Amino acid sequence: MRILVAMSGGVDSSVVAGLLKSQGHEVIGVTMKLWEGPNGEMPETGCCTASDSEDARKVAAKLDIPYYVMDYTESFSEDVVDNFVGMYAKGLTPNPCVECNRSVKFDHFLTQAKKLKCEKVATGHYAKIIKNDNTYELHKADYLDKDQSYVLHMLTSEKLEYIEFPLGTISKPEVRQIAAELGLKTAFKKDSQDICFVGKKDYRNFVNTRVDISSSGEIVDNKGKKIGEHKGIHEFTVGQRKGLPGGQGEAKYVTKIDVSSKKVHIGQRKDLLVRNFLLDEVSFVNDIVTNDLTIQTRYNSEDLPCNINKVGNGQLEVTLHESTYGVAPGQFGVIYQGTKLVGGGRISSKVLEKSGNG
Amino acid sequence: MKKSEYLYLDHAATTPMREIAIKAFIDAEHEGFANSSGGHNLSRKAKNILEESRETISSIFEVAPNEIIFTSGGTEADNWSIKSLFDKNIDSDSNLVTSSIEHEAVLASAEWIKDNDFPVTFSECLNTGELDKNSFLKAINNDTIIASAMWANNETGIIQPIKELTKEVKKINSNTLFHSDVVQAVVSAKLNFHSEGIQSAAISAHKVGGPKGVGAMFLSNEFKLPSMLHGGKQELERRAGTVNVAGVASFAAALQEQQNNFDDEISIMMNEKSEFEEIVKNNFKVKIIGENEKRLAHISNIQFEKVNSEVLMVDLDLNGLGVSRGSACASGAQKPSHVLEAMGIKKEYINNHLRFSFGWSTGLGEGKKAAQILLNSLEKIS
Repeated sequence: MRILVAMSGGVDSSVVAGLLKSQGHEVIGVTMKLWEGPNGEMPETGCCTASDSEDARKVAAKLDIPYYVMDYTESFSEDVVDNFVGMYAKGLTPNPCVECNRSVKFDHFLTQAKKLKCEKVATGHYAKIIKNDNTYELHKADYLDKDQSYVLHMLTSEKLEYIEFPLGTISKPEVRQIAAELGLKTAFKKDSQDICFVGKKDYRNFVNTRVDISSSGEIVDNKGKKIGEHKGIHEFTVGQRKGLPGGQGEAKYVTKIDVSSKKVHIGQRKDLLVRNFLLDEVSFVNDIVTNDLTIQTRYNSEDLPCNINKVGNGQLEVTLHESTYGVAPGQFGVIYQGTKLVGGGRISSKVLEKSGNG
Repeated sequence: MKKSEYLYLDHAATTPMREIAIKAFIDAEHEGFANSSGGHNLSRKAKNILEESRETISSIFEVAPNEIIFTSGGTEADNWSIKSLFDKNIDSDSNLVTSSIEHEAVLASAEWIKDNDFPVTFSECLNTGELDKNSFLKAINNDTIIASAMWANNETGIIQPIKELTKEVKKINSNTLFHSDVVQAVVSAKLNFHSEGIQSAAISAHKVGGPKGVGAMFLSNEFKLPSMLHGGKQELERRAGTVNVAGVASFAAALQEQQNNFDDEISIMMNEKSEFEEIVKNNFKVKIIGENEKRLAHISNIQFEKVNSEVLMVDLDLNGLGVSRGSACASGAQKPSHVLEAMGIKKEYINNHLRFSFGWSTGLGEGKKAAQILLNSLEKIS
């Protein structure tokens, strides 16, 4: 079949293109240009750099497949970057990879693929799609170290029908080995871990150049007493330890960010303990299931046993079996039954206030 | 897909080399490999080939041989003419007047001048695709040292009112050097620089079936420009660097064959383009840019209603038709065209254009074949 492969220039998507080609598929490679400099140039750092697209082009040439660079900068800038900045400005912790998968890769890109009469799109994500009768299930990758199902939780069965994740059953070392066997120059290329449009720089500086930083305010302790000042709530995220005033004694953490009063609350680690919270904008891969569930509250975090309860308006109430630290509003809560991904949604700030204080 | 099955309609980007140009290159390397500036027998052979080529090319444009200086291509000639007079010793009011629809080689050179704090005017463009003569002429003053306007646009093929401009510019300031990028014009128009009133021009070999990396600057004997490349006194003492004699010989051979076959080649391009445009506009909602304007024979820029041309171009490629969208950047992603923007084409349509460009290698029936491939893709994509 004809398959459109999203090629970033990294080893994973290079191997996807190679594997699908060797299975006899008609493979078309596309590098999605997501981000650009002020004069339309490819960025020099992060991913999607000019040198990454050059790597992808070389891999495509080596595999003898058609290859194109296509422009998604408009959609990326509106749906991912503006959202990223806007979330920090609201005191939330964004996850741009989820937004990119939702709005760009598995929406706009998928639409383009259908126009080009491609039966599927494939990416180098580590996750597994399993066909079960007429529905498609999303599972964790066999190689759990790299499992990326968390950032793909918004994919529904209807979308999964058009998607391939060929790396779902392969380990990273195997991927590198396959790349080497195929003679691909990306075989030993370093993995990128940065937020692609921020690169190695501090994300706070990036946000600073885009949001009005006049939102300075007070830093207060858990009794509401002022203990310092800050230059903008976007510089903080719940659970953060760095950059807080007060030296001696017990470590301090950001426990709450109050957008309306511009107050950043800090407290002790135990103040971060959460047991109940709400998820907004919830979606499910297939029909909802409620037994034997676990949840990840950050990318690749621990699976925490939980119960869920639909509360309407696309919201879901999550009750953990045991309280946990590190539930940050804005991040996603992704629910699994074993390796099967059930669904997920954005962690709401509202209920955290209640449970954080409780 | 076999190469022979692939339909190439991107001649405005570059053309395949003519057989005669390949042969001229090989012959020149065999007979005249030596440095044309040397003092021995073999150098004289190279020098003879070089000067014969210069004569061939100069007679085609009806200029004196020493008014043709060989360069690495059109871009170098544009850079040279536009930038070289703007150095730190000239009056700070010295200015450049050009248009907003120029080729990047001119626009980027103009930006460089602007960055060096000299005034630059980018005159406006009319909705017809013709540059706005009034806005261009209004900017010319006593301190205008260079005026630059292309003879015909590389994206739309629309022919510019150069003769009128050169006449009017001279009336305002007779010392202004008028430069014209004629890279695309040479493909399908006969040019006489002196009668057009052009004093400097950028010419490229590879658009007419010659080799890449070779071009020429025409510079009227009335003007002198400082050298851009510093080094030895090659190329009539104006351009340093060992001359690419074989490339120049190949360039001359390509241009000579083009002139010999001019009417036949142009009539094929015209016919194929008309047939292509007829079929397309009778079967799909399109706008042919500059349809009622004077256009070069080989360029057809088409706007498709409601079809983003990025996917369309990919689909055409997958179906064996190579065309282009705008100016390509290093990554291969293509940006909306500054020319279409300057023409006032609305934002919602600016990404819906493709440029189909015919050329000397275009054969009979290719216009029709291209139209069919295009209509098939449009049916799928829209």
